Amino acid sequence: MQEIVLIGILISTCLMAVAKRLPALIRSFRYQSFFLFLATFLVAWKEAQPDLYVVAGLLLVIKAALIPHVLYRIINKIKVGQDLGLFINTQLSLLCALLFAYLAWDFSSKLIVYGSHAQTGILSVALFSVLIGFFLMISRITALAQIIGLLVMENGLFLLASAVSGGMPFFVEIAIFFDVFVSVVIMGFFIYRINKFFTHIDVNKLSNLKG
Amino acid sequence: MQIFFIIGIPLLLSVAGLFIRRQKATGIVNCFGYLAVLLFSVSLLKDIASSARTRSFFGFLCLDTLSAFFILVISVVAFAAALYSVGYITRDVQNARISGRKARGYYLLFNLFCCSMFFVPALDNLGMLWVAIEMTTLISAFLVGFYNTKKSVEAAWKYIIICSVGIIFALLGTILFSYAFSISGISKSLNWSEITPLAHILDKNILKFAFLFILVGYGTKAGLAPMHTWLPDAHSQAVAPISALLSGVLLETAVYAILRFGFILVHGVGFPYFSNLMIIFGVISLIISSGFILVQKDLKRLLAYSSIEHIGIIAIGLGLASPLAFCGALLHIFNHAVVKSLMFFGAGNIVSIYQKHNINAIRGVLKTMPFTGVMLLLGMFALTGFPPFSLFISELMVLIGAFSVNAYLPAGLLLLLLSVIFGAFIYHFGKMLYGNIPKGMVVTKEPLSGKLAFLFLFFLLFAPAVGLLFIKKDLIWITQNLLPR
Repeated sequence: MQEIVLIGILISTCLMAVAKRLPALIRSFRYQSFFLFLATFLVAWKEAQPDLYVVAGLLLVIKAALIPHVLYRIINKIKVGQDLGLFINTQLSLLCALLFAYLAWDFSSKLIVYGSHAQTGILSVALFSVLIGFFLMISRITALAQIIGLLVMENGLFLLASAVSGGMPFFVEIAIFFDVFVSVVIMGFFIYRINKFFTHIDVNKLSNLKG
Repeated sequence: MQIFFIIGIPLLLSVAGLFIRRQKATGIVNCFGYLAVLLFSVSLLKDIASSARTRSFFGFLCLDTLSAFFILVISVVAFAAALYSVGYITRDVQNARISGRKARGYYLLFNLFCCSMFFVPALDNLGMLWVAIEMTTLISAFLVGFYNTKKSVEAAWKYIIICSVGIIFALLGTILFSYAFSISGISKSLNWSEITPLAHILDKNILKFAFLFILVGYGTKAGLAPMHTWLPDAHSQAVAPISALLSGVLLETAVYAILRFGFILVHGVGFPYFSNLMIIFGVISLIISSGFILVQKDLKRLLAYSSIEHIGIIAIGLGLASPLAFCGALLHIFNHAVVKSLMFFGAGNIVSIYQKHNINAIRGVLKTMPFTGVMLLLGMFALTGFPPFSLFISELMVLIGAFSVNAYLPAGLLLLLLSVIFGAFIYHFGKMLYGNIPKGMVVTKEPLSGKLAFLFLFFLLFAPAVGLLFIKKDLIWITQNLLPR
């Protein structure tokens, strides 16, 4: 069961790497968060930990429902094109994703010293997600893609934390969720402002400040 | 006990600001609040330094001498910035640059920003430390984009994105640290007060990996080159008192985080690894910043690059395996915070009178604003490490430390680059301060609160130097007291 969920996360992350339009990207992000919820829920169920149920519930509410909702709202409000604007085209992005998958696997098999095989698998998927998030941030033009890239990285780290150390302490986890949500709202606010002043949200054209 | 006041007063002030109608009254209340915070933090440092042990409260806050020292630095700059804000914000309201309502918003954000920074050195849990540092970014992003112009919004966006990405890497490092701790089989905890004494039994490779991520992550926030790119933009666009806070203490809180993990690393794998990384990043920061300082055209960006330079010096000092250099670096953190605030306040006065940032277009500051001009002239000498000021002492301590551990290459580079930067500063400030009053300008007087802020900081420029004369214990003893055991 856990393997299926992991493959779900892997596929949804790959979908983000090849997405060309914003709604597709947000949809894939929603899938990824949902699979992450499933993974956490499974662990909570297996180990009968009430804390983890709360964390899983928060994942579902904040990352799979609220944040995509906020992002959709931003797209509808600012009415710029829905194209992501690719610096690196989809085929090349997919190749990069393959490379990242290999790197993540290699790194995690070196890092996990005493762990099981399954742990290595989770860790490599987590690192893959972090790398794809970073890749999205630097290879896409719209500012919204940068927010989503950041969220994807954060999702990867969540998975990583649960893989290697059984999750962060409960109240740290809650604080991080809160923090992520607040940062999305604040970044959304700045996207409105950028759109108002520049009438676009293309980060490659933000070049007034130099030197 | 003092720590609750130190964290509580800014919170109370931010609530109080909602009820006070006039922005000037809010500003004055703020000054008294931060004066109280400053006194509390002095007494906190005195208490903890004399008992030389860590104190924890509810397993949530934990303080040792190092934390108390950073809290003192934050409260000094926060008090000075609160003093300076009164006059500065009032002038902005009079010039109709911002509305009265927005000025009240400024004080709210200012207090929340200070509060989040006071949390950073006080927290025990490394995960919460991460959350607190991220909160400082989120709150100050509004203060960077405060004037709502094209440039400031762009700067705020770059600031929030680059720092968030950087800090995500720091979270990765934090998770790896907790992984190293959890596989050692002791307990599952993220408290530095529990991890540091047991660091020697942790897995060495994981610690090394983890610290790389920490250094890149918090190094972004600290402004270490080559992750510094957000820094000049944010510093040049922020409101002047906030530039002082950003440069004087926000960077240092990130240095504090690096240091906390650094202690664990040093206990775990020994000094050389930590030392090499810090010195490499420090030297890169110095080289890059000196280049940009030489060719700089924008006054506030010049000061921002100078912050990168000083962070580089601090990183080198912390990285040298010498107690003297370590002590010098900590002293430098204090001195840099003081002098950089003074310089940003001066630059803020210049910008709000001349209405421009360009160094080539500013002339005759000494004649237009005699007080600010004199302060800037002296501050410029202090900033570049000229003798009677305390920055000279701290830089000298770092240099002596470097020579005493045979680190000749970093020491030589440090000396060379410092002299280059000294020349560049003399050149830039000479052009701005001297010369005739531009046409259409009149001699302006600074508001009283602004003058007080300058005098307070100027006094502190000499204080450590004078204080060291009267301390009977030697420096090594002080440093050993600062290090956790």
